[in-house]
Formats: sequence, C-alpha cells, structure tokens
Amino acid sequence: MTMIFGVPAAVLYGQLLLGLINGSFYAMLSLGLAVIFGMMNIVNFAHGAQYMLGAMTAWLLLNFLGIGYWWSLLLAPLIVGASGLVIERFLLRRLYKLDHLYGMLLTFGLALMFQGIFTNAFGSSGQPYKIPPLLSGGSNLGFMFLPNYRAWVIVASLTVCLTTWYVIERTKLGAYLRAATENPMLVQTFGIRVPRMIMLTYGAGVALAALAGVLAAPIYQVGPTMGVDLIIVVFAVVVIGGMGSIMGSIVTGFMVGLIEGLTKAFYPELSSTIVFVLMAVVLLLRPAGLFGSKPEPAGAAHQEKLEIAGPNPRRQMIAFAAMAALFALAPLVVYPGFMMKAMLFALFACAFNLLAGYGKLVSFGHSMFLGTAGYVCGHAAKVWGFTPELAVLAGTAAAALLGVASGWLAIRRSGIYFAMVTLAFAQMIYFVALQAPFTGGEDGLQGVPRGHLFGVIDLADPVNLYGFVLAIFLGGFFLIMRLVGSPFGLVLKGLSDHEPRAQSLGLDTARYKLVAFTLSAALAGLAGSTKAITSQIVTLSDVHWSMSGEVLLMTFLGGVGTLFGPVVGAFVVVAMQNYLASLGQWVIVIHGAIFVLCVLAFRRGIVGELIAFAGRRTNRGGAPAHSGPGH
Amino acid sequence: MNNADYALEAKGLSREFGGFFAVRSVDFRLARGSIHAVIGPNGAGKTTLFNLLTKYLAPSAGAILHDGEDVTPLAMAQMAQRGVVRSFQISAVFSGLSVRQNLELALLRPAGIAWNLLGLVSRRPEVAERANALMHQFGLVEYADALAGNLPYGRKRVLELATTLSLEPKVLLLDEPMAGLGREDIGRITDLIRAAGKGRTLLLVEHNMKVVAELAERITVMVRGEILAEGSYQEVSSRSDVMAAYTGQTGAGAAHG
Repeated sequence: MTMIFGVPAAVLYGQLLLGLINGSFYAMLSLGLAVIFGMMNIVNFAHGAQYMLGAMTAWLLLNFLGIGYWWSLLLAPLIVGASGLVIERFLLRRLYKLDHLYGMLLTFGLALMFQGIFTNAFGSSGQPYKIPPLLSGGSNLGFMFLPNYRAWVIVASLTVCLTTWYVIERTKLGAYLRAATENPMLVQTFGIRVPRMIMLTYGAGVALAALAGVLAAPIYQVGPTMGVDLIIVVFAVVVIGGMGSIMGSIVTGFMVGLIEGLTKAFYPELSSTIVFVLMAVVLLLRPAGLFGSKPEPAGAAHQEKLEIAGPNPRRQMIAFAAMAALFALAPLVVYPGFMMKAMLFALFACAFNLLAGYGKLVSFGHSMFLGTAGYVCGHAAKVWGFTPELAVLAGTAAAALLGVASGWLAIRRSGIYFAMVTLAFAQMIYFVALQAPFTGGEDGLQGVPRGHLFGVIDLADPVNLYGFVLAIFLGGFFLIMRLVGSPFGLVLKGLSDHEPRAQSLGLDTARYKLVAFTLSAALAGLAGSTKAITSQIVTLSDVHWSMSGEVLLMTFLGGVGTLFGPVVGAFVVVAMQNYLASLGQWVIVIHGAIFVLCVLAFRRGIVGELIAFAGRRTNRGGAPAHSGPGH
Repeated sequence: MNNADYALEAKGLSREFGGFFAVRSVDFRLARGSIHAVIGPNGAGKTTLFNLLTKYLAPSAGAILHDGEDVTPLAMAQMAQRGVVRSFQISAVFSGLSVRQNLELALLRPAGIAWNLLGLVSRRPEVAERANALMHQFGLVEYADALAGNLPYGRKRVLELATTLSLEPKVLLLDEPMAGLGREDIGRITDLIRAAGKGRTLLLVEHNMKVVAELAERITVMVRGEILAEGSYQEVSSRSDVMAAYTGQTGAGAAHG
C-alpha cells in the first residue's frame, strides 16, 4: 500500500475528494451570500435554512408527488427562490435604510422559523434520498474509486459557480447589477427598475442555496437541521475570503474544503475546527480577508434613537433598589427555581448588552463565554473540590481569558463581520467542548456539587442558594450600571457612534473595545459559572449557537442599549420557555417570529419603547423639544 | 528656517488608490503659528493630503514630520495625543450623545480619566465646568441636553469645532469647515476660526474663497494630486495657471466659492 507522509494514499485521496465535495457546497453557498451581500448589504442568515429547504423540497417532491431528482433540480430552486422573492418584497425591503445588522437578525429569525416548522412536521432526524440511477455506480481511476454522483456534484457546482461569476462580471445584466450596488438612484434614471432587480437578485441567491440543497440531498441526510452547522462554517469561509469578489468566494470555498480534507487525512482531531483556526489566522494577518472586503457602507446610523440623552444616575439608583427589593421578595409568590434561572439569564443578557448595546458590537457567539465558564466552574467544583465562590471565580476568569483572546481577533472587524467572526469562534469552542475529555461530551458535566460558600454557608439550602444567586445578579448588574455611567462608558458610546472621530480626539479605540469585550465576556462567564452551581449540570446547549441566539433575542426584545431592557427580555423569554415547554419545537418558531417582529416593528424593544413613550409625553407637556430647528 | 519651525512637514508624500495617485510626491510645510489653507478643484487631492497628515490614511510613500520628528508610523489617536487634532468634512459629532456629553467625552482624556471604569462623569467637576464654559463660549448652552444628532446643521459644525478646540490643540486641521453652511453660519464660524487660530497653527481645506482670503496667511493650490502653487492670496490669485486650473477657464471664478 502506498503511503504519503504516513497516510495511506487511498485514505488521502478519499479525504481530498470529500474535501472537494464539501468545498463545492462552501463555494456555492458563500457565492450566494456574496451575491446577496454585494447587492443588498444583507448577510442572509437564512441561507443555510434555504439550502435545507431545497433538499427538503426535493425530498417532498419525490415522496409525495413522485417527482424525481432531475425535475427537482429545476423545481426546488424555483419554488424556494420564489419564497425568497416574497421574503424580499415584504420583509427585507423595509430594512435597507437601517443598520445591516437588522438584516442579519431578521434572517436569523427566519432561519429559526423554517427550522422549527420543518422539525415539527418531519422530526429532526435525517431522511435518506436515493442517488438517481443515471449517476449511481462509479469509476475506478486507478489510484482511487470515484463514485459518479460525487463527480457530478463537483462538475455541477463548478459550472454553477463559474456561470454566476460570468453573468455578474461579464454580461450587461451583471454590469447593471454592479452599477446598482454603487449608485441605485443613478441606475434607476437609466430606466431600470432597481427594486425589482434587487428582489430578483435575492431570489436568485436563495435559489442557488436551494440548488446546493438538492445536490446535497443524496450525499448527506435530508433533515431540518442540515443547514445550521453548514452556514456557520460558510460564514467563516466568507470571513476568510472577504466577500469582496465573486471569484474570491468560489476559490475560498474550494480551498477551505480541500484544506479540511487534508486535515482529516493527517490530523483528524483538528478537522472540525480547522476552518475556524484558518479564520483566526486570516484575521491576524489580513483582517480584510484574502480577496478583500466590500467595505461596509458607513453604518446607516441606528434609526431608533432614544429621545432622551443620558441617564439620570439618581433615578437609576432608585430603579435598581426597587428591582433588588422586588427580586428579594419574589420567591414568596414565584417559584424560586424560575427566578434564579431568569436572573442568571438576565445577567448574561446584560453582559451581552454592555458590548452590543453600548459598544454596538453585536456578538453572535456569546454562548462560548457562558458555556466555557460553566464547564470550568463545574470542573473546579466537582473534580478539584473548589468551594463555590472559588469555582465561580475560576469560571469567570476562564471566560475573561477567552474574551481577551477572541476579542483581540474579533475587534479587527466590525458590524456584520464581527457578528460572523464571533459566531465562528463560538462554533469552534462548541466543537472543542464536544470532544474535550472533561466536558462529558453529549452527556454534559453532571452532578456539579453546590458545596459550602466560603466553606461555611450550605448552598444546598434553597434560601442560601437564592441569596447567592440574587447577590451575584445584583452585583453584576450594579457593576454594568456603573460601567455604563463611567467615563469609560461614555467613550464606549462615543466610539460606537463615530469611531474615527473618537480616534481624532486621541482615544485609542481598539483598546477600549477590547476591554469592553473582555468585561462582557467575564460577566457572561459569571452568569455561566453561577448557573453551573445552581443547576448542577453543564451541557453542550450552553455553548451551542442557539444559546447565543437566545441572548440576542432577550436583549433585542427587552431593549438593546437600555439598562433594564435585557432583564425584562430575559424574564419574558425564560417565562415563555417554562410555560410553553409543552409546545416543543414551536417555541423555536415563536422565537424566530419574535425576532422578525422586533426587527420590523419594534426595534427599541420593550423598555426602549417605554422610555420613548415617556420621553414623548414629557416633551409634549413641558418645554418644547430640543429636536426642533433652533435658530 | 530650522526643521522644527514647521508644525507639520510632508516629504515626498504619496497615496495611491488602486493605481490612481490621489496625492503624488507632495512636499509640504506648515509653518508654526500660521494659518494656512489648501485649495484646489474637486478631486485635487486636498482631503487625501489632509487625511495623510492626520494619519487617518497611511501614505503609500513619503514621510510626515511633526515638530521635526518623524511621525509617519503613528496612528491618528497618537497624533491627537501630540496635539495635532482634526475635524471631518462630514460633520462629525457623536450623534447619540447630548451636546454636553460630546464635550465631556473630548475632555476625558486630557483630564486623565478616560480609563476610569467605575466613576461617574458627573462627579468630575473639572470636566463638567470646562464643558459648561465651552458651551457658553460657543453659544451652545440652550442645546446642552439635546442629542447632537438632532441639532441643526450649523450648530453641529459649531459643536464639532468646540469639541476639537476643547483639546487645546497646538495644530488644528479643519476639513472644509464651511461645507453646507448658510451665509450667517459662515460669518459666525469664520470668526470662531479666526479666534481659534490665535497662538495656534491652523490648516484648513476650504472651497469658499472669500473665507480663505479672509483667514489664510498662506495658500497652497493643489491640482491632480500635486502642488501647483503656493504663496499669499494675492500671489496665488494673480497667477493665470492657478485660475485656469481652479476654474477650468480663465478669470472670474476663483474670487467666489
């Protein structure tokens, strides 16, 4: 048997082929993302779900209508693409003047909804899809056996990618598209209906994802969750390539697939994380990506400005004291377990809000801090026998360290790229947690002892435990309140408003961002550590991307950039989970729907709307608004 | 003159954007204590030169000296820490902060408390008092608690100027301070700039020739990324090549903005 660097040649070729196949899908999906982003400045988070829809549609067509593979290859992209047209026309079109993050949030909500609906209907397990007879079998190339269907996927994907590239870069239609990206008004005056063109572009991008889904159906299992992990990898691919050029996305997609294949052959332990490691290296050496980024148009400023500037520290203290009293007395009427869970999620959301609300750095990967801290704290308490306060401290410190490292890389990008980078890092941590020996893998880290606080106070006593959680929550919240009101908080708000201006005032903005990132990570870790002690178990769901989604949901629902909003949002979301638990997967659909609703109609969130309402009332009653023209 | 007599000096400064030279081997000197204007037609490279001098952009080639020291590798924030502070062409205020907070934010670093993580800004009287004084000086008192983003355009420019001056810069660089302003605002801001120029080095990029003639002691004319002429307003405006380049025709145009 031939060996290449200690690996049997057949294994190496097999893994390279697999890498090429995966690369085909990375290329097609990142190409679709790049087309949509280039045209609309929207990061289509639903892209993975639309890939899944393509595969599911093919499966449905076959099983319910008897329509086979070849017709599905045409019909599924058309059907899913048409749904894309509807999404653009009625949802995305309302967001073009807003910060690009809203597009990402809305499509994230849509992805959750699609995934939830299909899981409800067909269960979460995958369904097999037969290889069409024409492409079954394979050919022996002498050095390896090549299944025909796999060869077809590579050829088909290359054809699709190169055709798309040709249309956009070399045809008149492509020229209009590119021109409309630069200056839609001008192109409009040429008599081209730009809004319709944008709608069709989105539809085409979505159809591309669906086509990839149909191609994937006979290779991977067809199931509602097949697109989720894939889209996160594709985000990393997009960060590596830079989304600046169509050819760049194609080349990067195939390249990453091949590198992944090589890793599987030579060092399989690293194969699920290599993409994210690559991303980190690219961020370090070439932050704009290998092929350059399309510069994100300067943040189309958050439209939903609160009308009152600057919080009143005294009023804040009163509200804080009221909240402390309320939560201290709550166990008399509310189930304490619920209160503790909600308070810890509230702290998690407040920590996230410190970065997202005040620094306008919206992380899609905050679960990594919650989960890592939980694992470290749990391990310290269970295996090393730490007392709870030391275990919590260890967990928090671990999250802070992870915050420094990931933040140092992530703050090299901002806006949507920052969101994708953090999501990708969190996915990497997820895979580490899945494989690491001390996390308990799928079973989780169970039986974390509550122990005695300072070796004295028994936390097995429900009253003591509640007091401990309450103290942690109030302490963390108070710290965040002070941070936000401090000179540091003012700098943070300023640099998120206009970073170059802050630099021109002599402020080293990168350092402020890193400190904010680290503090946010540490406080999220504080919540995660305490959660490990109270719930006595740490599971993979704590590091899963859906946890990052939940904290986003809590914060945006409650009111991003408001002090109390995340607390309100966390209580609403945890209550929903508790009382709607019987609905199963529908809860995910509801989460998705709330995202969509928040983005479309409710961007200030609950507390933000209340503040705005109060502001309007005082303005109407008292002195004329200072927003009027004052000459 | 000695090297150190120049507040800022550019040597062979170039900046290329994908094969196009916005600024091409420019040698430029900004004498300490002078008010100096850079003029030129649209696309002449004025703003690029300005962005290079303030380190908002990194040069493709050449060196920048501040007080005779090479500052080419520094970042914009470090330039500001050395007392070289700029304004932006598109009015740069922190739109989500109140007018008072805009000024306080600028004052934090000079007061040495920009890294205070837990204190309250309102508990620092020196910052609050200085912000109040600036609002009085610049006629912004009635807007103190208004969001800067909601200010009328002219007031935004005043706030930006006040914020820039709050750092008491030694070298002040203003990028088109009159852009988009009405006539009354122009008069008021011209007065403010003249007052600010006392005891400072001031460089401005400006299209409004009346303002330039009124303020600047020395004028540099840029065309297509290079320096065409330099001198007093009289010297520069009497040159026919300047007229031709600036207006695209001979005569009239250059006298008004």
